[in-house]
Amino acid sequence: MKRAFPHPQPVSRGRGERITAAFTTVAFTLTAAFAASAFAAAVVGQPAPAFTATDLSGKPVSLADYKGKTVVLEWHNFGCPFVQKHYRSGNMQALQKKYGGEVVWLTVNSTNAGHQDYMAPAALTKALADFGAAPTRFVMDEPGTVGLAYGAKVTPHMYVIDPSGKVAYNGAIDDKRSTDVADVKTARNHVAAALDEMKAGKPVSNASNAPYGCTIKYR
Amino acid sequence: MTHPLPRHRILLAAALVLAGAFAIAAHAVPVRTEHVEAELIAERTAASPGKPATVGLRLHMDEHWHTYWKNPGDSGLPTKIQWRLPEGWTAGPIAWPHPEGQRVGPMLNYGYSDEAILLSELTPPADARPGPVTITANASWLVCKDICIPEKATLTLAFAVAEGDPPPDGAQAALFAKARAKLPATLTGWTAESAIAGNRLTLRYMPPAGTLAPASVAFFPYRENFIDHPAPQVLTRDGGGFRLEMQLVEPVAQDVKDLAGVLVAGSAWPGAANRRSVEITGPVVAALAPVQAPIAPAGNEAGSSLALALVFALAGGLLLNLMPCVFPVLGIKVMGFVRHAHGDARALWMQGAVFSAGVLVSFLALAGLLLALRAGGTELGWGFQLQSPAFVTLLAALFFLMALNLFGVFEWGGFAQSMTSNVSAKGRYADAFLAGVLATLVATPCTAPFMGAAVGFTLAQPASISLAVFAMLGVGMAVPVLALSFFPAALRKLPKPGPWMETFKQVMAFPLFATVIWLAWVLGAQVGNDAVLSLLGGLLVLAIGAWIYGRWARSESLARFVFAALFAAAGLWLAWPGPTAAPNEARAANAKSGEIAWQPWSPERLAELRAAGTPVFVDFTAAWCVTCQVNKRVALNREEVVRALADRGVVPLKADWTNHDPRITAALAQLGRNALPVYALYAPGQAQPKLLPEVLTASLVVEELSKLPAARTAANDTIR
Repeated sequence: MKRAFPHPQPVSRGRGERITAAFTTVAFTLTAAFAASAFAAAVVGQPAPAFTATDLSGKPVSLADYKGKTVVLEWHNFGCPFVQKHYRSGNMQALQKKYGGEVVWLTVNSTNAGHQDYMAPAALTKALADFGAAPTRFVMDEPGTVGLAYGAKVTPHMYVIDPSGKVAYNGAIDDKRSTDVADVKTARNHVAAALDEMKAGKPVSNASNAPYGCTIKYR
Repeated sequence: MTHPLPRHRILLAAALVLAGAFAIAAHAVPVRTEHVEAELIAERTAASPGKPATVGLRLHMDEHWHTYWKNPGDSGLPTKIQWRLPEGWTAGPIAWPHPEGQRVGPMLNYGYSDEAILLSELTPPADARPGPVTITANASWLVCKDICIPEKATLTLAFAVAEGDPPPDGAQAALFAKARAKLPATLTGWTAESAIAGNRLTLRYMPPAGTLAPASVAFFPYRENFIDHPAPQVLTRDGGGFRLEMQLVEPVAQDVKDLAGVLVAGSAWPGAANRRSVEITGPVVAALAPVQAPIAPAGNEAGSSLALALVFALAGGLLLNLMPCVFPVLGIKVMGFVRHAHGDARALWMQGAVFSAGVLVSFLALAGLLLALRAGGTELGWGFQLQSPAFVTLLAALFFLMALNLFGVFEWGGFAQSMTSNVSAKGRYADAFLAGVLATLVATPCTAPFMGAAVGFTLAQPASISLAVFAMLGVGMAVPVLALSFFPAALRKLPKPGPWMETFKQVMAFPLFATVIWLAWVLGAQVGNDAVLSLLGGLLVLAIGAWIYGRWARSESLARFVFAALFAAAGLWLAWPGPTAAPNEARAANAKSGEIAWQPWSPERLAELRAAGTPVFVDFTAAWCVTCQVNKRVALNREEVVRALADRGVVPLKADWTNHDPRITAALAQLGRNALPVYALYAPGQAQPKLLPEVLTASLVVEELSKLPAARTAANDTIR
């Protein structure tokens, strides 16, 4: 099977480029050191960080719009093999459709515009349609503000926010850490389990775990 | 009629299969995926029935691409191996090499770049039949740069089962050695425990007594989603060990009973056989013990027991009397005793007591000065006064004058008349006291056996303990003289006074001249050739002063004193050394044939050699250390030693402490020493060097060297 995601650009070994690379690394490390302190986290049991961003059509999306509702946040990047696993298998679309009636499903993309995985809203709209995806809204988080506020690390990184605005789930989509489409069928879907438990008025049994996937391509 | 061809073909095919079985035994063709070259490697050419055989999955990543550790950190996926083995075989888990941290934006991943060798043990059944077998591994990994690509490969290894003990595959030995060097070691005697307060986790890792933890460490936990990977880990010293404070992911996991993972040091881990990492498991406790004051390393031999240090100090002090530094002074002292042996017994022991007091007071004064200077932040060691060219010059002038005095060029006037026949009791006491002071001053650079450890121990202790140990050294040095003064019976065995005494006195001048020669050489090593010329010129002028003073001894004229004083002053002015240049750099460089080709020591050079697995012999030496010079001549620069060093591939490094060098002072402190000589032999894989005795013999050195593994072959060298 051919991979559908892009190849990396060949790396030039030019001297100037190396110096630039060295400077970038230093600047990057310094920035990262500062960014790390700004890298908050959405902690289970605590209020979910508020945000306002734009959707694919440029309209504002705000968490406050969905007060009193259960909200699912899905971190997304079609270039990531882990995300592809859940879209190729139809797993993510199925969840969006199954729970879409009762919860607000927000798919968030924090990929920076300079990265090869970045897709412009038009291209994304088409790709989502091709996959038959059905999120309530698709949030463009190019500056990464929302992702950093939530401490989203990977794609997919999943969050569930309960109607009182508190984080009810933070972690992986399921317990089969792989890129293998075949694993979807046999995995325990943590998000579905959390939503079902919440609906039944039970506490979420596995409310926090390590998400798996590709690192989010923050700016 | 039979056709010959089919039989030929069968034979040929059989031969090919056999040849193939040997030629490709335990070898596999590497598989190239988009960003990784993967292959299976086997340590031995075959496996024995029922015995585990180590095989490795070697992943060679493209530049800038990496794969992941068992806990991949904030993202990623650990490499997986699914074995397809012959009937009855079993596969053990992957032995993970220690990872490196990989920063990706605000995240931190744990993994491998360049190359990762994942070792596993495969065990054939006990009844496995000898013969070729095929090992297959379905390996899958995630390889990432800033994008990630899941890759997989089916790898095969043509392996075999063989009776007996199959030989190691020489071609793979280096790879396996390299792989093992990256496996975390399990240390015995070290304790790990941790405590959680809020969202902070503190790991306390303590070595057994006498061992020191490495200077820098990073913790990689096995458990995922537990510590906040990119948050900085804060290291603090705790006695000989350390504490590492980390931030936890919120909400803090409530079910943490144990903390397990890998600690990776910046360089080789002490006591971990050349490995950089150790595996730790320890309970999570309610609270940790309060932080101990960071301790300086205790001496290897002396340990940290005060009583033992005192005993060593006493023994060291006793032996100091026999050291070459003290000998000239000892001679004068004995002569003084001979002169007074038949006199008043009380005066005799009084003199012994005053001499002892001189020794004790000087030892305590030196210790006090040393402690005061240390408190002021100066890096000093025992014998430090001889690091000062001015002090060396003064000492040379003093010994030179004493020698001239013994020759009869002049006689002391005033207080120090004990060398002449008519001295007052007061003068004799002053002389005895000064003799004690002098003996102590010249004794310091000669560290007697046992003394190094005692002094090293003492300087890391509170002042009261330091002073007690120094006082004990003084007692040790004074005791023989004091005993002689209390038991004049022993002295009576000495010859009666007579004209021979004048001869003896003059003979005693020669060791003093020898000492002056040595001091001139020390000065040359410190500040160069010109300083030696100035010194010798100065001594000549000083000699003129002494001669004037002696020649006109009966003159009442003031001119005698004026001229003598003028010449003495001019002599000292001439002899006075200029500012210390740095003439030592080139000195160690070129060795004559048959002598050890010393390379200059530096902490970096030592670390570099040890990291490469090269055995190293470090000679901590100084021009002013007489024992060092004696050892160099009688034990080190010997053909058998030079050959043994070469045979074992030992790199000799010379740490020259002739002039003040804080790095050497620090290195000695690390070894629990503060005085010279120190001979440290670093065997590959050993965290702590073996310290050789202060007094060496060639055979002892050769014997120690012979315990090292034989020099590595050129082929093995490539694993660096």
